[in-house]
Amino acid sequence: MLKKLKSAERLFLLIKKLLPFTAASLSKGKILNEVQQLVHNDPRSWLDAVSIWRNLLKLDVNREEFSQRDANPLKRKMRENEGVIAKKLKTEEMQKIEENHKEYQLEEQTEDTLEQRESTMRRDKLEKEEIQKEVEKAAGAHSQEDLTFRVSCRCSGAIGKVFTAQEVGRIIGIALMKQFGWKADLRNPNLEIYVHLNDIYTVAGIPLFRVPLASRTYIKTAGLRSTIAWAMASLAEIKVGTFVLDPMCGLGTILLEAAKEWPDGYYVGADVSDSQLLGAWDNLKAAGLNDKIELLKVSVIELPLPSESVDIIISDIPFGKKFKIGKDIKTILQEMERVLHVGGTIVLLLSEDHHRLLKDCGGSHMPLDSKGSHTSEPRIKKCLIPEEKPDTSERVTSSYEGGNQECSDKMSPFGSLVPVEYYKVSLGKTNALICKYKKSSTSGL
Amino acid sequence: MKLLTHNLLSSHVRGVGPRGFPLRLQATEVRVNPVEFNPDFVARMIPKVEWAALLEAADTLNLAEVPREPTEGYEHDEDFLRKMHHVLLEVEVLEGTLQCPESGRLFPISRGIPNMLLNDEETET
Repeated sequence: MLKKLKSAERLFLLIKKLLPFTAASLSKGKILNEVQQLVHNDPRSWLDAVSIWRNLLKLDVNREEFSQRDANPLKRKMRENEGVIAKKLKTEEMQKIEENHKEYQLEEQTEDTLEQRESTMRRDKLEKEEIQKEVEKAAGAHSQEDLTFRVSCRCSGAIGKVFTAQEVGRIIGIALMKQFGWKADLRNPNLEIYVHLNDIYTVAGIPLFRVPLASRTYIKTAGLRSTIAWAMASLAEIKVGTFVLDPMCGLGTILLEAAKEWPDGYYVGADVSDSQLLGAWDNLKAAGLNDKIELLKVSVIELPLPSESVDIIISDIPFGKKFKIGKDIKTILQEMERVLHVGGTIVLLLSEDHHRLLKDCGGSHMPLDSKGSHTSEPRIKKCLIPEEKPDTSERVTSSYEGGNQECSDKMSPFGSLVPVEYYKVSLGKTNALICKYKKSSTSGL
Repeated sequence: MKLLTHNLLSSHVRGVGPRGFPLRLQATEVRVNPVEFNPDFVARMIPKVEWAALLEAADTLNLAEVPREPTEGYEHDEDFLRKMHHVLLEVEVLEGTLQCPESGRLFPISRGIPNMLLNDEETET
């Protein structure tokens, strides 16, 4: 059921999360001591995590035998840099894991939906105590067994300058062996432990899945990373009968994620490339979504659609690295704006360069110097915590940090496209921004 | 290409304005697929449908039982919705052409995908 999480890349079972080690002020020996204390100070949390992990494994095995598969997934850590939406899910995850531990003990094989779990989170205080009791029982049994493990460590930031990852990994490994009697096996361990030390936190966890959640069973060939595609689709507010267009659909990843999760929309994808369209068609067929998604061979700067006929546009604007983007991004946005209904939504994945371009081309009436300092920093917003700011335009639910009210005017790239919110995401090697705009009724320039 | 999609497409050849709609449909290969019936979805699409265009296309394809216009209280008329569902979503043109009524320009439909890319001379700059 954890596999149903659509926006998470990798999941970990959290053992410990602490403030970072202050490498600068302590001597090397002292830091080593502190690292050892990670294990020795609180063996309980290690054992708890391991037993939860075991139970989750067992349940997964049961369920999969039930469904006649015999893969035995281990579970995996969610990277902190995986995107803001994923962060929220991570904290929910830890609670959910405890919830589910209890639920599975009581009700076997019930299908959990994400919503159900969220509502059960409210009752966590009471349930936590019950879980503790059960976990202790389980932990008692487990500490006798032989468990092979391996520690994978990552060090960066200040502490990375003092220690190498191998050193820290070895220390933790030795501490674990001393504390619990587990055996180290570097090749094929039962249990893998990830430790991450940097300037922001110190974290230890057990990975949950061997394969990242981003590799979907229903997508044959992914273009855009499917977690980002899903996140974009979820920002778009798709409802029953909504006309959703992706005018540069490529292999159709965004439309696939959207149609899978919100099957009641009307989805159309367009691309200029035959090979991409063929790939998209294959993907649609493999996912069984041919009926839900229509494909067109058209150009994004000349959409054969009447003005104001589309409700939602979601698109991954080519960054210019993998595919040639022969047209100007402004031209593209103009055409998108033309076909969009008033009140419609656009969600775009932009490279940092594109984003800067768009910010700069709007608000040409504003003095450059006051704009320069403000708009040069990307405004990163922690997800889903909208800070309501008084705003002149009623249509915009602005989630900007304080003092940026003037900036929202500066930032509209085109008369009627008003930026709503945006999130910085990581695509692995590069960063990008998911930007959401709404078309307002006040026509612009 | 479903008829619902055809209903939304208009010609974007240079100089062609509102007379670029609807595109005249010619089909050499048509397929009928069963699609899961979702009454809510169909009901929401009805207001967006350009009826004249739909009827013209349906006639070209010799479809029977096509409602001529939305009935009063169509949202609850299951019979009507089912007929519309069939016309809009279950009929698929696999091979054929779309023609701009104003300029005469032909756009081919191949493997269900209409190709509406214009040459450089035809684009509106």
